[in-house]
Amino acid sequence: MTRTPCTVPEDRIIAYVAGDLTDGEELTLAEHLGTCEECCEQAAELTALRGALPVCCATAAVRWHSFPTPFGTMFVARTDRGLARLSWQKRDAQQGSWRAQRPDDFVAEMEERFPGQPVVQDADALADVERELEEYFAGARSRFDIPVDLSSVSEFERRVLESARAIPFGEVIPYTELARRISKPGAARAVGNALGHNPVAIVVPCHRVVRRDGSLGGYTGGVQYKKQLLTLEGRDDLLRAG
Amino acid sequence: MALEPQHAPTFSPLADWVACYGPELRRHVARMLGGADEADDILQRVWLTAAQQPPLIAPDTTPRAWLYRVATNAALDRLARDRRRRAALDARGPQLLPDGDASPDEGVTKLDESARRRVREHVARLPRKQREAVWLRWVEGDDYSAIAAKLGCSEASARANVYQGMKRLRQELFDLWKKEYRE
Repeated sequence: MTRTPCTVPEDRIIAYVAGDLTDGEELTLAEHLGTCEECCEQAAELTALRGALPVCCATAAVRWHSFPTPFGTMFVARTDRGLARLSWQKRDAQQGSWRAQRPDDFVAEMEERFPGQPVVQDADALADVERELEEYFAGARSRFDIPVDLSSVSEFERRVLESARAIPFGEVIPYTELARRISKPGAARAVGNALGHNPVAIVVPCHRVVRRDGSLGGYTGGVQYKKQLLTLEGRDDLLRAG
Repeated sequence: MALEPQHAPTFSPLADWVACYGPELRRHVARMLGGADEADDILQRVWLTAAQQPPLIAPDTTPRAWLYRVATNAALDRLARDRRRRAALDARGPQLLPDGDASPDEGVTKLDESARRRVREHVARLPRKQREAVWLRWVEGDDYSAIAAKLGCSEASARANVYQGMKRLRQELFDLWKKEYRE
């Protein structure tokens, strides 16, 4: 066993355990592990860690991705069940104003929505979402085929959003009509609040719900987006009233 | 080292290897394990592997590098099992990975939920890029080019994030525990 401090960096030992070294490098390091107690200990711990990670973390990940859209950089995330979040804006807690969504804030929000589940970036897993949104914004898609995961919202909100999801492209209904459809005829305001908590805007088309008098009503992040979406769906006629 | 299969001998002159490299490998493994007790057991596994999955050896080279890799990895698996067990048995330790009497081949299969949660918590506290890279490499089994594609970074950056994350996890899960244990 060596008594002088070892000069082999830990990265080298990680590379050995990860199988990243060439044959020649591997032999040199293997021989070294037989002569250096410190490195041998590190290698043993890293081997334990490598074996433990897949066992300890064998839980489904939340996967996210971001890409440019006409609304700005769009952040999307999916669970094993489906698209769970779509966001391009975030409300500033202090000023109350909206600003562009950022990666760290988006990941932090997903960790809050899905506690205990790892959140990892994965462009491949969201490629279909990116494609469908791109087609929608280009006017080449009127219906989303991607499954949606609404497990992070309340039971009432889920009923509202599932009902909103059935409204076809280019059609609008009043808040009161959606309240009636979920058998809560007096709950138009609660319906409006539930739509405001829609985690997957655009895909669940909350922008297709408007006021009974023909005005547009609100939209989380700014009514200008509601106008843009309805224009995209050929409903410029509604904008004059709004 | 390895040649194209059509040029390589498929037989394994095992007896020659045992005679030529056995003593050297036994010393190597014994030094790694801190004693000769289990060295013969590890070497048995090396010879078994050599017999069942013989390496492709180029005509003008020796199997020494291959034998060292197999022996070293078998010794590391044994040490890793001991580290997990020792960490789990110490009440003040991190309850890292109790795996009972699982053989090295079984690896870590018998983990209680609190031990798993502790590892997950340490993974969750890694900086985002490191956490994602470590996850993709060791939980999903992606190679660096796949990780680079998913994270939108270079392969070098993907690898650096895996290494930094592994280094930090090792230090948090083992070094801190050992420090407490010794004081």
